[in-house]
Amino acid sequence: MSIRTGYEEATEAYQLPRLVRLGPNLYGACFTLMKMIPARYILRRALAEGRLPADATIVETTSGTFGLALAMQAVHLDRRLILVSDPVVDERLYRRLTDLGAVVERVPAAAGAAPGGYQAARLDRLHEIRAGLPGSFWPEQYSNPDNPRSYAAVSELVLESLGQVDCLVGPVGSGGSMTGTATYLRSVVPECRAIAVDTHHSILFGHPDGHRELRGLGMGLMPANLDHTVFDDVHWTSAGAAYQATRRLHRRHGLFMGPTSGAAYLVADWWARRNPRALTVVMFPDEGYRYQDTVYDDAWLAAAGHTAGPPTDPEPLDDPTRADGVWTSYAWGRRTHAEVMSGVPA
Amino acid sequence: MTQRALHELRSTKVSAEFGIGKGYAPAHHGELLQGMFRDASGGLRRALVTLPQTTRGTRAVFRPSQNHWGVVGSPGLTKVRRAAVLALREFAGRPGAAKGGHIEIVSDVPVGIGMGSSTSDVTAAIRAVADYHGVTLSREELGRLAVLAECASDPVMIDDRVVLFAHRDGVVLETLGHRLPPLLVVGCDTRPGDSVDTDRFPPAEYGDREIGFFGVLLAALRRALATEDVALLGRVATASARINQRFLPKDNLEALLELCLAHGGAGIQIAHSGTVAGLIFDARSPDAPDAAVRCSARIEAMGLVLTTVIGAPPGGTAEERTAC
Repeated sequence: MSIRTGYEEATEAYQLPRLVRLGPNLYGACFTLMKMIPARYILRRALAEGRLPADATIVETTSGTFGLALAMQAVHLDRRLILVSDPVVDERLYRRLTDLGAVVERVPAAAGAAPGGYQAARLDRLHEIRAGLPGSFWPEQYSNPDNPRSYAAVSELVLESLGQVDCLVGPVGSGGSMTGTATYLRSVVPECRAIAVDTHHSILFGHPDGHRELRGLGMGLMPANLDHTVFDDVHWTSAGAAYQATRRLHRRHGLFMGPTSGAAYLVADWWARRNPRALTVVMFPDEGYRYQDTVYDDAWLAAAGHTAGPPTDPEPLDDPTRADGVWTSYAWGRRTHAEVMSGVPA
Repeated sequence: MTQRALHELRSTKVSAEFGIGKGYAPAHHGELLQGMFRDASGGLRRALVTLPQTTRGTRAVFRPSQNHWGVVGSPGLTKVRRAAVLALREFAGRPGAAKGGHIEIVSDVPVGIGMGSSTSDVTAAIRAVADYHGVTLSREELGRLAVLAECASDPVMIDDRVVLFAHRDGVVLETLGHRLPPLLVVGCDTRPGDSVDTDRFPPAEYGDREIGFFGVLLAALRRALATEDVALLGRVATASARINQRFLPKDNLEALLELCLAHGGAGIQIAHSGTVAGLIFDARSPDAPDAAVRCSARIEAMGLVLTTVIGAPPGGTAEERTAC
């Protein structure tokens, strides 16, 4: 028999989610910081394989929680970390990153208007920095296969705790968490349904690129780690619908999560109630602290025009490139991006 | 007839005498899961979870000799002689310890199809030598000695629980549960007349992705044992069998799986370095005995040879069919 023991380090304590029952057939996988899973796996693996010697600097482009997870892990590994970000980086996150010893470079505001926007400017700057730092290590969360691979740990936890899962719902950004978790769950349950939650004007599943108010999911560039053939359905939610669902998750279940969790909850709660025999797991990637002055502030929501509750059902689309609406869905049918865009039937 | 060959007793002459040691070890019917797993220190180890087959096995008799060193036996029993010598060394120096002796084996475990004949022989031999010296070795000690004798061993000696066994290191990596849930397994030989030389069969080279899968399968198996969930256990065994198709493919795996699922079964298990496969049913299901009988007939119609039925329910219709 095994007994409970302490964690070796904070990054280990942070990595796995708590599985919390939200309904008769619905469980939330509640992460403190989901990106800790790929960050820890990628860096520890690089270390084990000698790709991260003592004098190496870790360089990554991120304005989100992957940077935070890298910064925490860099503290434990005693490595230098440079994060290339942009002016829209959250001020609280910036303070936390720098307190952890990370150097956070922000590309100029003007870069946002150039072709490719901030993401292209950040990549250019990253390559510049790396050119001057021989032996630096770039985790490359968008294309490193260790990112989806790291989520085997989540699938292990889910299968050991809940058994045969029939449906997995979660927000998609880099593609790592949903592609990885669904792929590993399907080693045991091949028919397990995978539902991607995205936002309007994210290019991941066919929308034209454009302004996205809801952050933390969706992308303007296609990440290599996103395997489209994993997904049975795609849902797009607006910022307002996601924010309201985030509050509903808090009020109904006491779970204090961020807005990408709210978006996923909206979709998962709807799907689980319509499929009462299907055991459903929904991924909640981070907590609500960064959003206390926004999503969790009624005055802010009112001023931003986000007071309307989300509709009770999504609007099913025949055309996945249609980027209007509040909450839309499309039967992706485990096809490639090219197949869907060229009209290959599901 | 292959069916006869399968059940032929492999035997050297045994006569009952005093002053001898006797040992027995059961067989198995391949694995529920086999792959590469992370141990507690993060290292990778090849390991497996065996499906025991207790109605077949090996009996060994050790007859001591103070006149010569070492152990003699029939020339085909190289591993058995090595195992007996290793066991003798363990007891060297004890009063009355044998210097050498003669080992005899009687076994009804078919050879070369993945039912653990080699480990069964080796374990029975070690137990026979230990028995002569009045010693009962622990299961873990037996496992260690068996691996020393034959490089890779199945955990047939660990019969009091279900374990993840590092078969090349001879150590238990994890105890997964007290016992398997009630299973009814219809076993067959997927390549009748063919055999796999496990000593010459190269170890499977697993990729990172597959190693990830093994961790997930192990987690699911833990739950299947804790909750006696045969359906989940069947899924794990099926997944493990499918991964192994890259290394030692069984042409009729998908056909057998389809047959099993069509009759309400849970999945298929295989010998990962052998040719046997088993259709897994939940023995608690009232339909299982009939399903097993119907599947047995279909398997024979496919030109395959039935090896065994594990966990046949009382009344034993299915068991009788394979009793020859």
